[in-house]
Amino acid sequence: MKDQDSGQMPHDHADHEHGHGHEQEHGHRHEHGHDLGHDRGHAHSHEIRDGLDGPGLERLAGPVPRVGIGGPVGSGKTTLIEALVPRLVASGHNPVVVTNDIFTQEDARHVRATLSAVLPEEKVVGVETGSCPHTAVRDDPTMNLDAVQALTDRFPETDLVLLESGGDNLTLTYSRVLADFFIFVIDVGEGDKIPRKRGPGITSSDLLVINKIDIAPHVRADLSVMERDARAVRGDRPFVFTNCFSGEGLDEVLQHLDASGMLSGSQAVHT
Amino acid sequence: MLATGPADWDGPALSPRAFLAALQLADSAFPSGRYTLSHGLESLVQSGAVTVRSGIGGLCSLLCDQLEHGVASTDGVAVAWAHRAVSETVRSGYDEQLACETDRRLTSVKLSQEMREASSRTGRGVMGTALGSFAGPALTAYSRLIRGRTVPGNGAVVIGLLSAELGLPLIYAVATELYGFAAGWLNAAMRLGVADHRIMQAVLNRCGPVMDGAAQKASTTDLEDMASCIPLVDIMSMRHEQAALRMFAS
Repeated sequence: MKDQDSGQMPHDHADHEHGHGHEQEHGHRHEHGHDLGHDRGHAHSHEIRDGLDGPGLERLAGPVPRVGIGGPVGSGKTTLIEALVPRLVASGHNPVVVTNDIFTQEDARHVRATLSAVLPEEKVVGVETGSCPHTAVRDDPTMNLDAVQALTDRFPETDLVLLESGGDNLTLTYSRVLADFFIFVIDVGEGDKIPRKRGPGITSSDLLVINKIDIAPHVRADLSVMERDARAVRGDRPFVFTNCFSGEGLDEVLQHLDASGMLSGSQAVHT
Repeated sequence: MLATGPADWDGPALSPRAFLAALQLADSAFPSGRYTLSHGLESLVQSGAVTVRSGIGGLCSLLCDQLEHGVASTDGVAVAWAHRAVSETVRSGYDEQLACETDRRLTSVKLSQEMREASSRTGRGVMGTALGSFAGPALTAYSRLIRGRTVPGNGAVVIGLLSAELGLPLIYAVATELYGFAAGWLNAAMRLGVADHRIMQAVLNRCGPVMDGAAQKASTTDLEDMASCIPLVDIMSMRHEQAALRMFAS
């Protein structure tokens, strides 16, 4: 059976050895490479391949790595971007931001003003989604791809694209055509039950960020419960606790991006 | 006289394979970014000109006017001429000059910047989806001009080229474009809260004869006669460019 959202074949990570050989911190692993018919990582014995010779379809919107950030309304997607961008710039990177979470001119002004010290406002663009945030990053990512292409054409020094989906519910996933790396952001204020509610973002994202750990005592959330449940539902996929205001956990987020090749400046031309 | 059913139709027949191509192109799931467009409707709703009380009659009147005087007479005509650049080219390849001229004329009759940009984005969206998989040599060649920004790459031109390459007869290619517009417009109406799912389908059905007639007219319109006359929608589109709150890209 095909996973409805990711287009990937489900498989049980606990039942067999992957043989990836690139352990991440905390024993987590990346790039499970079980996409249908594409060579995005490591082949598995049960992988269904299309058998075509030569490269697959051309990579759309250029080689610059793209990190897709999604999650419920108010979980801290924008704040994560606002916290990551200065760190990326300080370490010599040239990021741009494509946000689908801009609904009003005020939203746009907020993001640009917050980042104004480190990022020219022209490097932050908004994409309207016609109130279809899932569609814009999953079913039909063409408008986001177009925005990425335009931005990277205009700023050829760009080495990382950060995409932010519209705030949504727990069912959001990114098209693998759009995002090379998918970060799903939830927050402690939503309740410590959230990880065990699962949903594809929580279980299958490349990195789960559990944000606002500082407010746990105020909302009666138990971080140890969230850690236990996240570990249980994500298998060997990584998760990070963050406080985007204090910076706690952000270095770890960047380490995961680096370990996954997102900070290398370029992706393979063919998927 | 408008055709009202198959018995009235003496135009080209549609093979099941071409019919399937039309379904694919008109499917709201076809990745072209059209779900981000309201074609001026968001501003009409924000201004109070269109409300939930507009109903089937009001929505149908507005949509039919826009279809006849703004879409069929521009995008519809462009689909037809881009189609001809492939389907009526005797020598191998396609008539690049005709495709380019159609593309530039279409941009020149789209008054608001937002409408021009939306049309070009749609073109690039359709192109990106089809290239490397089911686009033929004409669209593949034309895509180089689009990527080189020597032509605007309007959606209707890309769809005209692609439709011809997929074997969809010209009039059906135009009708498919009109249907895609109408269905997208009504989807936007639903998301903007001025139509429910039944009203949407009722309007779509009621607009059928208008789309039929408009498709036939667009298929026989000279390229030089491509024109648009939808001043209210144009003004609303220009207002939308400055709107403080917007869900749609047009």
